[in-house]
Amino acid sequence: MKPIRKVLVANRGEIAVRVLRACREMGLQTVAVYSDADRTARHVRQADEAHRLGPGPASESYLRIDGVVEAATRSGADAVHPGYGFLAENADFARACAAAGIVFIGPRPETIELMGEKTSARRAAIEAGVPVVPGTVEPIEDHAVLAREAERVGYPVLLKAAGGGGGKGIRRVASPKDLASAVARARSEAESAFGDGRVYLEKALTGARHIEIQVLADGHGQVVHLFERECSIQRRHQKIIEESPSVAVSPALRERMGALSVALARRVGYVNAGTLEFLVDASGEPYFLEMNTRLQVEHPVTEWVTGLDLVKLQIRIAAGEALPFTQAEVHQRGHAIECRIYAEDPDLGFLPSPGRITVLRAPAGPGIRDDSGVDAGDEVPIHYDPLLSKLTAYGADRAEAAARMSRALAEYRVLGLATNVAFLARILAHPAFASGAFDIGWVEGPLAREEPRTQPPWEIVIAAAAIAAFEERRAASRTTVRHEVPVWRRAGWDDQQRGRL
Amino acid sequence: MRLEAEVAGRRVRVEVRRRGEGPYDVTIGDRQIQLEARAAGPMGLSLLVGNRSHDVAVERTPTGFRVHLAGEVVEVGLSEAVSAAMGAAVARGPARITAPMPGKIVRVLVGPGTEVEAGDGVVVVEAMKMENELKAARAGRVRAVHVREGQAVDGGALLVELE
Repeated sequence: MKPIRKVLVANRGEIAVRVLRACREMGLQTVAVYSDADRTARHVRQADEAHRLGPGPASESYLRIDGVVEAATRSGADAVHPGYGFLAENADFARACAAAGIVFIGPRPETIELMGEKTSARRAAIEAGVPVVPGTVEPIEDHAVLAREAERVGYPVLLKAAGGGGGKGIRRVASPKDLASAVARARSEAESAFGDGRVYLEKALTGARHIEIQVLADGHGQVVHLFERECSIQRRHQKIIEESPSVAVSPALRERMGALSVALARRVGYVNAGTLEFLVDASGEPYFLEMNTRLQVEHPVTEWVTGLDLVKLQIRIAAGEALPFTQAEVHQRGHAIECRIYAEDPDLGFLPSPGRITVLRAPAGPGIRDDSGVDAGDEVPIHYDPLLSKLTAYGADRAEAAARMSRALAEYRVLGLATNVAFLARILAHPAFASGAFDIGWVEGPLAREEPRTQPPWEIVIAAAAIAAFEERRAASRTTVRHEVPVWRRAGWDDQQRGRL
Repeated sequence: MRLEAEVAGRRVRVEVRRRGEGPYDVTIGDRQIQLEARAAGPMGLSLLVGNRSHDVAVERTPTGFRVHLAGEVVEVGLSEAVSAAMGAAVARGPARITAPMPGKIVRVLVGPGTEVEAGDGVVVVEAMKMENELKAARAGRVRAVHVREGQAVDGGALLVELE
């Protein structure tokens, strides 16, 4: 196998920056790709080379297999790292890379295909002895069969798209009378999202937590797990806070879930980094949901508690190296929490909030890591996921990690667009978060129905605005006096006004 | 400077005074606080209330300011309050509606002959990127409109006359 000296990162935003950093630290040459909306984005500036893919929309740039492979060939890259999203779980892309003689940093295309199709992944799990959520193994066309299966597993049930994930095509059905219309809607949603209208059925577990296991496998048959990540803090089927370890996972459950995950990864011949997602019900029983055949957004929490660099390990595995440690040599130490910083407005139903970042002050200090993809002055385009950064905090225990996270969120300052920073801080300060008493329905259920417990100091807020208005007027009346520069000009007021043009 | 602030759906009168380069006296409703304020970094403001320190950033919005404080973000709507003295002058005087400050006429809401009630909006003036609706202080019929939309006006300029 030829050595990897130059890596093309087929992604953008924070994950592209994250991968570029690992490459830089390993002494590898780096190639970025970009759309017209990202010409000056941080990943472009941070790479040794940058190649244009096409216009802003992802379908015309980051999702273009031919364009990415051509850029890799043109730049002489030895390997492609897909990040997550875009082409990361696209078997055709992995095949196209291989056909062009470029190493795809990830599993084999057949594995991507097997685990990407939800019902075949469930079948593989069952064969490996991994419990799955009660439901159907195959997609079901016949309505009478669906109705019978729903009765068998018991309502409420979830209808899911066989062809994909990401929360699309999922319908919760509470009773038999709603089944027919829900099936119709799930089928049409799945058809338009994945071009595959087949659906299958699962029992809807109530009070469950979303807990996942990170695995690493080399090309020499060695498979290890890197413990769990707790990902139950979600909104709209998307995680916003993750942590490791989970308060809901006992040492015995950890060992069991780790062993099940390694067994399944082995069974499907898995190579590279992957994640097995489970639901753990109120009694502590784990049920396999699906496998993500790529690097996960929330991988930094695992890096904190294991002391490993997952991206570097991915590259080394792709280069044919053996894992440099055994299961017995991996330890979970301390506690790490991640908050996803999104450009979105929690007051407007978490609607994305694109725009230009005028001021950006990221937190730092003990136990804090900010994996950001943006700088002050950057435009957050409308075309892509509005994740700005992943803020992770590490502590000797959960309380210290949470205290550090709260401290860091209070330091985080983003001006120019709306973010979810205050919303995340509210969750961190909540007694239910502190005690660990939450499940996947907590954010959109109990938390959404509550009034915020903390109130900003209104008088200081109003006084600050009033002083700003006062100074703005004073500055306006003084602009003709050249020798006297108003304090507000020095404070960067002009910069902000420029940003608004 | 007298203002009306709107925060979280509540309205409150605010007055800012500053002598020279000294501290600011800010009256919010019937509460008065003294703050020392210094610009600190881009759009940053370091406030000291006594010795209590607040690290704030303020961002202009079309209707006021967005205030960032310890991870919280609060929208504050501000409008220049027509002072009680000015309001009284309008009521007693020859029914002349003048511009309280330099600005641009955004909308003229009346024409000659329009009957207005006390409190009806007459002209909308934009100043400091804030739109202020100037209201008739008493009822009457519009005799003349001296401005048109888009026109820049000086402070004190005659805008509308009532009969």
